Amino acid sequence: MSRAKYLGKRLLMAIPVVWLGATMTWFIIFMGPIDPAARLLSEGQVRNPAAYQAAQTQLGLNQPPLQHYFDWLSSLLVFDLGQTWLLYQGSNVNALIMDFLPRTLWLGFWSVLIAIFVGVPLGFYAGMRSNTVADYVASMGGIVWRAMPNFWLGIMLLALLGSSEAIFGFAWETVGPDLLTGISGNPDLTQLGTVDGFLRATKKVLPAAIVLGSASMGNEMRIGRTAVLEVKNQDYVELAKVKGVSKRSLVYKHILRNALVPLVPIITSEAFLLIGGSVLVETVFGINGIGYLFYQAAIQGDLPLVGTLMYVFILMIVGINLIQDVLYTLIDPRVGLEGD
Amino acid sequence: MLNRETLQRASGDGRTLAWLGIGLLLFLLEAGAAATFTMEALIKIALAVPGVDSAGFLTGLESAARSIPTLLSREAIPNQGYYNGSGYQETFLGLAPAVAWAIRATLVYVYAFGIMGWVVAGYRLYRSTYRKADWTPRDDVLDRLRSHNWGLFGLVIVFMFVTMAVFAPALGPTTVDQNMRNSYGNDISYWDSESGSVETIVVGEANLGSASRGNNQNVGPWSYDDYGRFHPFGTMQNGRDLFTFLMVGSRISLVIGVLSVGLSATIAASLALTSAYYKGRVDLSMVLVSDAVMAMPQLLLLIMLTTVLGDTWINEIYSGGFLLALIFAFTGWTYMWRSLRGPALQVSEREWIDAARSFGQRPTTIMRKHMLPYITGYLLIYGSMTLGGAIISIAGLSYLGLGVAPPTPEWGRAVNLGQDYVRTGSWHISLIPGILITLVVTGFNALGDGIRDAIDPQSDSAGDETAGAGAGA
Repeated sequence: MSRAKYLGKRLLMAIPVVWLGATMTWFIIFMGPIDPAARLLSEGQVRNPAAYQAAQTQLGLNQPPLQHYFDWLSSLLVFDLGQTWLLYQGSNVNALIMDFLPRTLWLGFWSVLIAIFVGVPLGFYAGMRSNTVADYVASMGGIVWRAMPNFWLGIMLLALLGSSEAIFGFAWETVGPDLLTGISGNPDLTQLGTVDGFLRATKKVLPAAIVLGSASMGNEMRIGRTAVLEVKNQDYVELAKVKGVSKRSLVYKHILRNALVPLVPIITSEAFLLIGGSVLVETVFGINGIGYLFYQAAIQGDLPLVGTLMYVFILMIVGINLIQDVLYTLIDPRVGLEGD
Repeated sequence: MLNRETLQRASGDGRTLAWLGIGLLLFLLEAGAAATFTMEALIKIALAVPGVDSAGFLTGLESAARSIPTLLSREAIPNQGYYNGSGYQETFLGLAPAVAWAIRATLVYVYAFGIMGWVVAGYRLYRSTYRKADWTPRDDVLDRLRSHNWGLFGLVIVFMFVTMAVFAPALGPTTVDQNMRNSYGNDISYWDSESGSVETIVVGEANLGSASRGNNQNVGPWSYDDYGRFHPFGTMQNGRDLFTFLMVGSRISLVIGVLSVGLSATIAASLALTSAYYKGRVDLSMVLVSDAVMAMPQLLLLIMLTTVLGDTWINEIYSGGFLLALIFAFTGWTYMWRSLRGPALQVSEREWIDAARSFGQRPTTIMRKHMLPYITGYLLIYGSMTLGGAIISIAGLSYLGLGVAPPTPEWGRAVNLGQDYVRTGSWHISLIPGILITLVVTGFNALGDGIRDAIDPQSDSAGDETAGAGAGA
């Protein structure tokens, strides 16, 4: 099977996955034990039959379920996401997502980057010096770091940074770019073009990104360590050594490059953790991202919005999976050649 | 089978008798607690049946069970007493409440490790005396686990956590009923140093005076409050005892965790066996379904489902814990299924499956008898890791105010309640539960690592690592 055919097959597989996910979401939201229309109304309005009827009509719940299902699916398909009911009442959901999504992407971007640039080198370092004290300290640290709950880590980090002047002798707010609006909260993404604006927005999400990336960082470290250990004992490394390749070239060209291969799929598959974790991290750090929006919609009872956002999340995850498949075929030529 | 010779050999050296005797002694020490627990559970089950309003007969039995003396109970080693000017009253041997509590807590753990040692000794006795075979493959697995320090560390942590959950009522310096649920229905005596006399106060009132709310008013770890009550982990922002809260909270975490992992392991194993046995379209459709479930991030799915199902009758059972376990199982099986599918497919290619099939055995029998035993090891590994992840997720949900319903103690809620005081003198409210979660999750992950290395020393330890991370909570 050629690579193109393999990728085509993966693409084809993605369609039923999105459809199944969206169908499950529709079923949970609209066929579940809660009446979405009643949930949208206040106590007094529920008893008012006219208001209830109006809400039902607007949600399309007065039609037969199958009709409603197809209507809902087709409007999602063309990204006609409707308007909100409770949260930011009456605003256009597309606009709302466009407003909230960039902050989450900014946070996710940095958390992936930090995890890679801290976790992978640490793992490689531990692997190159396996069974030394440094290895044990690094491995142990990675394991404990991974086991810490994100929300708790976030609270503790905020507390540390908030009183950094008393603990470390310098104030986090004034190191580098000034954070005039507090150490947590929304990053200002409008000034990204300027150097100062970029740094400021980065510094604002940095603590949150470290916390969100903590689980991935631990994973990448562990896998990096194992990968180096495996590559180190391969025959071609031995051969290079015998040939008299310099130590530097041996490490960078023969060991580390090959050890990177198993890491790529891990990094993309961590998107699950990042998107799921964004709810808690955004809540703790007060970032108005899409995870926070989802949580607010859920607790305030705006169930149609919950369903719509879930569809967006499904699209994001399936998209990341497809990117992973593409990367996989590029890096590892064996993929797609071994049959299914 | 026991034959006459081994029986004689065993009874001859008296080890078996000694082992049985110690077992009986250990049981008698806690017989009252075991009986009470059984009766309480029976009553709860009986009352859960619709239409049953009272269980008079069972309640009678329960009070009878309560009267059996128990070594590790609050009654045998009381720590709640008061100072009367010259010495402590109503505490164990007149000791200070802190010392009395420490003795009881230590005894609980000594007892628990005693039970563990007894089980290990029993297994060794069985292996050396009663078992016909000198060696079985399982011996190697256990021996490898015994020399795996990291795995043993995990085992000890997990065991201590389970002990905490089992003995939760005896471990706390006070009880949930007296300190939290019914604090205005109980009163305590204390030594009022101003008037120089013993006074009585309602617990709820005392709690108001012992709250930890920052620098001005704080009862930190390992200290007494103004009413002579000892708080090993300090008090919470509402003056309740944090240690008691956490001990009882460990119970619900463990129960939900075990229930959900057990359920999702069952689902995952049966689906993995089915897809491995039938392959082809059955396998493909299961891949699609699990991909679709996985495309919804688990934590978000949990939030959505707890909201939607929040008003149903299932949510009434065990403070919402049962519903949480069900949701966990039905959203989490995919991760385990993915890990099990590979090994199951490998087993399904072996000759004995073909042989069994041509022999005319039914597919369900083949799956159960000839395939399942080969994937149970993987079930243990991923089960242990998923349990750690489940504990983080449950805590994360209750931090958000979802999941376990509020009056019931849960670790994540303690983190939430103390959040505003982290930068003040009352830092302990948030810090301690987080450290406990980290420790327990590390323990479960370490145990999983240990089991993996014990079952398959060649295995690639870089496999599926996301299980322990709790869906990003």
